[in-house]
Amino acid sequence: MQRYFIAAMVVNFAICIKIFFGIRQQLRAEHAEMVWYQAIHLHSVLYDSIQHLPLLTGLTLAAAQFIPEMLGGRLRISLHLPMKRDIMLLYSIICGLLLYLAVCVMNLLMIGMTMRMYFPMEVAATVLPTMAPWILAGLLAYLGSITVLLEPSWPRRIFILIVFAILAYMLFTGIGYSWFAPALCLLMLLVPLSLLTVFESGRRFQEKGGS
Amino acid sequence: MNAIEVHHLRQQYDKGRVIYEDLNFSVAEGSICGLLGKNGQGKTTLVNILMGFLKPSGGECLVLGEKSHDLPATTRNRIGLLHEGHLAYEFMTINQTEKFYRGCYPNWEAETFFDLVGKMGLSGDHKVGNMSCGQRSQVVLGVILAQNPDLLILDDYSMGLDAGYRRLFLDVLHDFVAGDGKTIFVTSHIVQDLEQLVDTMIFIDQGEIMQTDLEEFMGSFHQYVFNADSELQFKKDDLIIGFEQRNEKVSVYSFAGMELVEQHIKDMGISPDNIHKVKMTLEDAFIGLMGKY
Repeated sequence: MQRYFIAAMVVNFAICIKIFFGIRQQLRAEHAEMVWYQAIHLHSVLYDSIQHLPLLTGLTLAAAQFIPEMLGGRLRISLHLPMKRDIMLLYSIICGLLLYLAVCVMNLLMIGMTMRMYFPMEVAATVLPTMAPWILAGLLAYLGSITVLLEPSWPRRIFILIVFAILAYMLFTGIGYSWFAPALCLLMLLVPLSLLTVFESGRRFQEKGGS
Repeated sequence: MNAIEVHHLRQQYDKGRVIYEDLNFSVAEGSICGLLGKNGQGKTTLVNILMGFLKPSGGECLVLGEKSHDLPATTRNRIGLLHEGHLAYEFMTINQTEKFYRGCYPNWEAETFFDLVGKMGLSGDHKVGNMSCGQRSQVVLGVILAQNPDLLILDDYSMGLDAGYRRLFLDVLHDFVAGDGKTIFVTSHIVQDLEQLVDTMIFIDQGEIMQTDLEEFMGSFHQYVFNADSELQFKKDDLIIGFEQRNEKVSVYSFAGMELVEQHIKDMGISPDNIHKVKMTLEDAFIGLMGKY
């Protein structure tokens, strides 16, 4: 898990650096007015090459955290610890989410600083609402992957996979800056709802053989 | 008081295969109960149910008075599980393992853990994943004993262990049950080890269970050997429970006395030359009762 987290940090950091150099190069190569026109009037997000990275990070962290537990059957040890199953799962998920959020915070800070360096504060301030749906997609990917891994029934697995894939896809459908901002609070409800699906699959995992 | 109670247990898999229809048994507190059965008879399924990793399709399975698939944390605290293959958190070191479990179990006995694990002579920074199977089993045994549980469920503890480690397990488990009210439920492929450990046996075969006191079973189940110069075919019946033939040596297994068995064989038209009773091990008895395949 530790290795995968470090790898995720390195990859995300590298992409942020690439975006920084990309914007700097663009401003040098083109007229600043042109870049401004593209970014502000045409709503071309200059850092959209990072948009799928949180999703991939969420998938990677979920796989790195839970696949070894499932394959080795080690989840059985955790399930027998003297605490409620849901609490045990919640602790595991919180650990994974903290790592995921650490990666996202790094991305937000680096992209935010890059934008602040070349654009006014108002533009830099849109980094968070613009990237939030992508980060949320990564959160859903993380929770959805755990649900799919824990779920013992293949038809249910496929159904859950489709539902989470649709939800994640929806979060990439917008264009421009802050395009999901008005709905963000409502969309955040998807996280506790996804947690419930993890708990339900965890219950079914234990009752159907736990291996 | 019983540590384990199974009432009318029914288990059916999704594809419709019924493993048990109406299984009933109990394991008294303070006893050491061994579960024996051939491969594919539902031994693992039963252990999974007892360990709380499978919800029975029907009936009831109570472990320390609670439903096994829905054990509260306070009851899990009183149960030590040794999983097949000696499952452990392999990414942890010995010291990390101790620290982690110490935080989970209020009755944790660090001395018990370090006494057992210290016998390996490894540094506390040694990673569990880098240990041999035997060393890992020692760490796992240290973990479950340091929890100071009332009930131990050991799933094939001898798997992958050499004679020395198996003996260590026997010694440690004997010490464990010397404590008041400690119970062990154990399965193992090494039947000889069970003979030295258990006081009660449960034989499982084709969804049926036979529970017996070990001493009583070994006193009432017999192996009779005689010579035959041709290949014989026996049908199992009330008297002949098991049969095997190796070249001229024929063994029949029965709960009946020798005279009755001898007469029964003669009634089949077979002459049991030089029939005599031989002393058998639990493994012989297991083969006699269950058959080889």
